[in-house]
Amino acid sequence: MGDDFKQMKEQVQAGEAEKLKELIKKALASKVAPMEIIEKALRPAMEEVGQKFETLEIFLPEMIMAADAMAAGVEILRPLLAAAGGEKKVGRVVLGTVSGDVHRIGKDIVRIMLEGAGFDVTDAGHDVPDDTFLAKVKELKPDILGLSALMTTTMQNIPRVIEALKAEGLRGKVKVIVGGAPVLSDWAKQIGSDGYGENAVQAVSVSKKLVG
Amino acid sequence: MIDFWEVVKRSETGEKIHEEEFNRRVGRVSAEVIKKYSIKYNPEEVVCADDALADRLFDAAVDFFLQTGVYCTSTGRVMKFSKNELFDSLESAVDQIVWGEGRDQKIQKARKVEDPRPVFSNYTLVGNPYSEATFLQAAMSVAKEPLADCFSAGSLLHTLGGVEVRSGSPMEVEAAIWDIGKRREAARRVGHPGKGMYTMVSAAEHADAMIAAARPEFGALPRDAMLCGAVAEMKVDYDRMKKVPFLLRTTYTIGGLYGPLMGGYAGGPEGTSMVLVAHHFLGRLVFQTEYSCCFPIEIHETCNTTRRMLWLVSTSHQALSRNTHLLHFSNAFIAAGPCTEFAAYELINFGITSAVSGADLSPSAVARNKMPERATGMEGRICTEAAHAATRMGMTRKQANEIVKKILPKYEKDISKAPIGKTISECYNMETVEPTKEYLDLYEKVKKEVGSYGLKYPFFAR
Repeated sequence: MGDDFKQMKEQVQAGEAEKLKELIKKALASKVAPMEIIEKALRPAMEEVGQKFETLEIFLPEMIMAADAMAAGVEILRPLLAAAGGEKKVGRVVLGTVSGDVHRIGKDIVRIMLEGAGFDVTDAGHDVPDDTFLAKVKELKPDILGLSALMTTTMQNIPRVIEALKAEGLRGKVKVIVGGAPVLSDWAKQIGSDGYGENAVQAVSVSKKLVG
Repeated sequence: MIDFWEVVKRSETGEKIHEEEFNRRVGRVSAEVIKKYSIKYNPEEVVCADDALADRLFDAAVDFFLQTGVYCTSTGRVMKFSKNELFDSLESAVDQIVWGEGRDQKIQKARKVEDPRPVFSNYTLVGNPYSEATFLQAAMSVAKEPLADCFSAGSLLHTLGGVEVRSGSPMEVEAAIWDIGKRREAARRVGHPGKGMYTMVSAAEHADAMIAAARPEFGALPRDAMLCGAVAEMKVDYDRMKKVPFLLRTTYTIGGLYGPLMGGYAGGPEGTSMVLVAHHFLGRLVFQTEYSCCFPIEIHETCNTTRRMLWLVSTSHQALSRNTHLLHFSNAFIAAGPCTEFAAYELINFGITSAVSGADLSPSAVARNKMPERATGMEGRICTEAAHAATRMGMTRKQANEIVKKILPKYEKDISKAPIGKTISECYNMETVEPTKEYLDLYEKVKKEVGSYGLKYPFFAR
């Protein structure tokens, strides 16, 4: 089976959704467990993609194509996973760029890499009002809330969301990670966040630690 | 030139697509045109001397622009433009700008590749955050520099009068008005009351704050400028577009602000260089820009002084200078902080590369534009003096390439752990607003070293 998993990983990394789907169908016909395909082929493939992106051996379009291919593969597996009790996710994350900030590329990259690492991610978008973050935390009960800002005038809205979580009695129920160009590690500690990612790779490793 | 209201109409009637789909389109078409026009990054030719490649890059950008159009995030629609509209907008662009007034007045003229005329230099602290207590001295440090043809400042850090400055709050308007007042006060304090402002307030502010601040009684001169930025690769929104009808009814100069991410939606150095050129078409057609500020940055390192980024800077500006008469500033983003040899090497490489490629200069975002109070006028001096030295020598791109490649090993391998350097209070005398002896000595040492590589500094033995 090792060769089949290797081929699947190659197709994920090449962004070849159709070829990946054929390989998955073949594996399923050979009675390979759906979760095994995810854990031994799809997630490791995306981890490698993330590492290659970190060193800029590949760029964002290739990473998006790989993520799309993986999503197409998971789509085939989903009904089977549901029948077997559902896909085992690493954790649930809600993330977004805070109010007043229209930047999104950093947040988008974090989303793609968290999904690839096996997290169930809900992207609340950009310029997200504080109340929307609170509503998402209440509704989805995520393990982690990710807050991003790209400007010094918008990063002030990150602690405001944390304060709002406290006021609603939600702070103890969700870990908060923060990031974005002007955000520094010391400041992240000072405002009472649980984790800080200087880049998308760090955001994934911090998230894994927080749910581990 | 296409009417602004026609542009607005297209933002409301163009093809409706999801933003994610537009992102994928940018990546797909970028890859296609890079292949079609044979654009290939060469790590050994950091300062590219291939005219044909520069011209193909321009053609690729035209092809790309006509295929993708511009995405308006406020309406979720794509604005498309014809080839005639595009070339009409380029043809009707100004080829010179008068900055400032009185004896501080300076004229910027479009430059060509290997142009022996000196670069026009805007000294800026970009978005480096400064506290209310040090903002004025920081602005003075750039405004007083002899080679600063125009100037800008940094961003206000967090609070004004003890009140937090939040995006979208009334304090943002208050801070923008305070900001322009301090910039003009800085120019007056250093004896250059008429020095032109490259951007009247930090480009981070919303349109309402920028418009509120752009008044003569707050410090604006008639030809001071305001930047209108693309929000991401080939995207605009209504908050940026709102500035246009205001600016078109004033005498203020309109600038375009483009910072595509290398490694982002447009792909690698080839795609990002091409997209940076295409952003100039966006700027002419949507914002009616008269100049541009180009700050392509490497997605992980938040700087543009790496080997790939210098190639990108070199090729994109050559494509523009060889095929248009647009005025384009090359905005340095360096990894290291003030008063470090590391930063000096980055700045010199950026200055030389930009100058021989036909760009004007806008130095610089320092310490990745994020470490508070770590950006000063000295970094502008180091970058601009290298550029002036190169143009006075009549330096060719091939000569520049040899020098830049000798300097690159001084920092490229350690770029991810570049030193953050010193705050302005640590490397300037804050009473005289002059760099410390330590900083001046460090610069002299680096100048001597790069002099031995072939860069001849003809003046200012400070």
